[in-house]
Amino acid sequence: MSGDRETILKRVRDSLAGIEDRTPYPEYDESLAVTAIRSLDGDLWERFSERFVAVNGLPITSPEELVEYLKSFEHTTGYIDPDLQTILAPYFGSGFTIEDRFDRDRLDDYRFGITRARGAIAETGSIVVTDRGTSSRLGALAPWVHVACVRRDEIFRDTPAAVAHMEDDPNVIWITGPSKTADVEGIMIEGVHGPGVQICLLLPDDVRKVQPTDA
Amino acid sequence: MKAQPIDVFARDLEEEVRHAVLDGSSSGYDKRLASLTSDFADPDLLRRTAGRIKQHTLENLDTYLPRVEEKLIANGVRVHWATDAEAARRTVLGIMRENGADKIVKSKSMATEEIALTPFLEKEGIESLETDLGEFIVQIDHDHPSHIVKPIIHKNRRGIARSFEREGLGAYDDRPETITARARTFLRKKYLEAQVGLTGANFLVAESGRMVLVTNEGNSRFCLAGTDIHIAVTGIEKIIPRERDLPLFLSLLGRSATGQQLTVYTEFISGPKVEGQPDGPGQMHLILLDNRRTELLASKCRDILRCIRCGACMNVCPVYRQASGHAYRSVYPGPVGAVLSPLLAGNKFPELADLPKASSLCGACKEVCPVDIPIPDLLLRLRDRAKQEGVKSPGTPPMGGWAYMASKPSVWRASLAAGKVMNYVPMNLIPVPALRAWRHSRELPPWRGGAFRKWMKIHAKEKGGES
Amino acid sequence: MRTDRHPAPGKKIQLMATCLCDGFFDDVAIATVQVLEHLGCEVSFPEGQTCCGQPAFNAGDWKSSRKVVRHCVQTFSGAEPVVVPSGSCAAMLFHGAPLEFEEESDSDEIGRLASRTWEISDYIVNGLGIDSWPGRFPGRIAFHRSCHTRETDSGPASRKLLESIDGVEVTPFGEAEQCCGFGGTFSVTFPSISSAMGHLKLEHALKEKPDYLVSGDMGCLMHLGGMATREGRPVEIRHVVQVLRDSLRNGGLIS
Ligand code: SF4
Repeated sequence: MSGDRETILKRVRDSLAGIEDRTPYPEYDESLAVTAIRSLDGDLWERFSERFVAVNGLPITSPEELVEYLKSFEHTTGYIDPDLQTILAPYFGSGFTIEDRFDRDRLDDYRFGITRARGAIAETGSIVVTDRGTSSRLGALAPWVHVACVRRDEIFRDTPAAVAHMEDDPNVIWITGPSKTADVEGIMIEGVHGPGVQICLLLPDDVRKVQPTDA
Repeated sequence: MKAQPIDVFARDLEEEVRHAVLDGSSSGYDKRLASLTSDFADPDLLRRTAGRIKQHTLENLDTYLPRVEEKLIANGVRVHWATDAEAARRTVLGIMRENGADKIVKSKSMATEEIALTPFLEKEGIESLETDLGEFIVQIDHDHPSHIVKPIIHKNRRGIARSFEREGLGAYDDRPETITARARTFLRKKYLEAQVGLTGANFLVAESGRMVLVTNEGNSRFCLAGTDIHIAVTGIEKIIPRERDLPLFLSLLGRSATGQQLTVYTEFISGPKVEGQPDGPGQMHLILLDNRRTELLASKCRDILRCIRCGACMNVCPVYRQASGHAYRSVYPGPVGAVLSPLLAGNKFPELADLPKASSLCGACKEVCPVDIPIPDLLLRLRDRAKQEGVKSPGTPPMGGWAYMASKPSVWRASLAAGKVMNYVPMNLIPVPALRAWRHSRELPPWRGGAFRKWMKIHAKEKGGES
Repeated sequence: MRTDRHPAPGKKIQLMATCLCDGFFDDVAIATVQVLEHLGCEVSFPEGQTCCGQPAFNAGDWKSSRKVVRHCVQTFSGAEPVVVPSGSCAAMLFHGAPLEFEEESDSDEIGRLASRTWEISDYIVNGLGIDSWPGRFPGRIAFHRSCHTRETDSGPASRKLLESIDGVEVTPFGEAEQCCGFGGTFSVTFPSISSAMGHLKLEHALKEKPDYLVSGDMGCLMHLGGMATREGRPVEIRHVVQVLRDSLRNGGLIS
């Protein structure tokens, strides 16, 4: 409501008129907010993995290992990002049903969803996904297992680095572990609305950088 | 003297609820402390810096509001302004009608609680469903949240299992896993049926127009994956200046609220989905809510607008912990609520003027607040305001007589010796029934009025003799 | 919390005994004098003193409170530090008073008093630069950091002094950050919550079987001690400064 806009802005100006010395923006070093205790030196995938495990994520370093994991839990039906399918399909044997189009009417048929992450954050064990980079929001969210695929050179050291390189994208998300709640008596339960298992798959180094389809 | 409503509430609170709240809040406190002190050498520096950034932003809202609006519009967001709750509710309804929509899935938001959106929409024939597990349970129970981060801190699994059974969500089973799984199954259909996903916003970055939403359950993300329209409602005070401020605020928010380094889903939303993507809202609206915030901004209590709704102050507050959130009779409980609620009440201030008195002024809230809000000072300012406005409320003993005595040394000394000072030293300056209340559960030490002064006189003489 | 006090000039100080010591706990005020004199201070006691103004301040009657604070300013004139054996009365003068005088014409004077008012432990450690305490005091101590010293240097200062004493064992206890529930008039207007809070504090503290419950505020101790006695499990209460004084005595450093 445009009338409301003018009213509110006028009220704001009037309210502030009485303040003689407005508080200045405090310049500070961004590293202030970075955890000082844990080392973030060395291989960033290693550092990321440590934190990711701490938030109950599961880091996996090869497609073979991923397939083995899914098999052992009988997660044999899933969704996969079409771009990733060409890379990963050869690893899945005949026991799997994998679709590269997510059908929202059969939401619960998918046991896992494999999508592309645009990065990860070593300091916090977070996966960075974007709207452009994610082939299906629902495919990354509804299945019990979400597998986010990331390349080693896409890992940020810390949150300020991740913010500084945040893409111009309408829906950037940092995912730090599986969906969870402690609403009932403070008891932690994983897999509330989103995935109960959050995996991060390290893509082989020779995989070309998967570009957003329309970028 | 009339009893204080919050004290009565605490006295009559069921033991089961009291224990749930005491335990829930103390674990919140421990987690917060552990995560902040283990990760940072000087957590107070973070708190103070964040507090100054927010204070700076508030005091420059005249610049930041138009700036963020411009960015939002450029990002493809439709921006609406709402002077009060009614305007905000009408705006939501308008968007619904315009799009022929009748179903909302809602992610937890204090602003929408504040404007009582759901009951309004329900009256208008719109289904508005809470999707945060705790809020969902509150909704099916027709109850109210009692904590801003842990809405059902006052409930236990048995009651919840009974509610689920009653609502046809499955036979009685009080295991938290089962409760959660049932909510998961029920709600995921709802996300797909609804046309609108409604959320609040934790931060709004002026520089980029990015809106930040944090959740652990993933419900807000589901709201924004299943539906076609996103409506966000947020107070005008939610702005932070720059993107680079995000790590600081996110570090503090997660740790202060739940002891997490980051909440599971930290979403940076700047507009409708990218053209051609299969899921996600193609339309995004942001409603900027005033609802007396500008009034607060003009007052000496404007610091409370820094609040980032982390709930840490309630976890640590001894009064909240004994009385529970419902004792505060408003959307915002605990220390933040004791300041915010009476201020947001407008001319109903007197009805909530007892809230700022429900505090021993112990300052624990200020000590934990991630944006360093001087809550005890603000409580005191509101007490002063209530007195000046002549609000009749129990808990303000008459002080005029005491002030007279305490500024007349000779009278003071005489009554000290006579023991009459009992009538006006701190806990004794209160009328007699109160003294009885004190003695009900404590012994008073023996009266020794004037003894020190006598000793001091003799001592001074001896000293004088020595030198 | 405002703690930007100037380093203490000289060793002349004025003692503000507080009304609780005036009325109930004379030994605490005496101990304060003895401890300060042992440190070489020259202690004066302005006879006109009454109260710091806190009861009315907390009750929201700032007008009445200002009247009493103005009286304080007159009573404690001069430039010497004002030393108070109570975190809460000291905080009233260095934090509360400036707040309620924000818009008064004499706010500068209040500010000057604020900047030379010290809580006793803070004064000893940060004003006089002393960080260990001689003598001997055998006992297990549960130390309750009184709430009005939060975010000031008083809590750490008291702890430092106590822990340095030969024979003292300071025992940690659960939920130590929680308030004891006194809060002046709060304990009277919110009787149920106040006693529940006190009870919680006692439960935690007494579980550690301390010989003494020690604090820098007699308000907290009066409340906790009174409750403990009423509940039939009395506990010895001591002000920090009493422990300091007794330690000197036990060590033969004062008579
Ligand atoms: S007042 Fe401070 S501690 Fe309380 S909810 Fe707000 S930000 Fe958190």
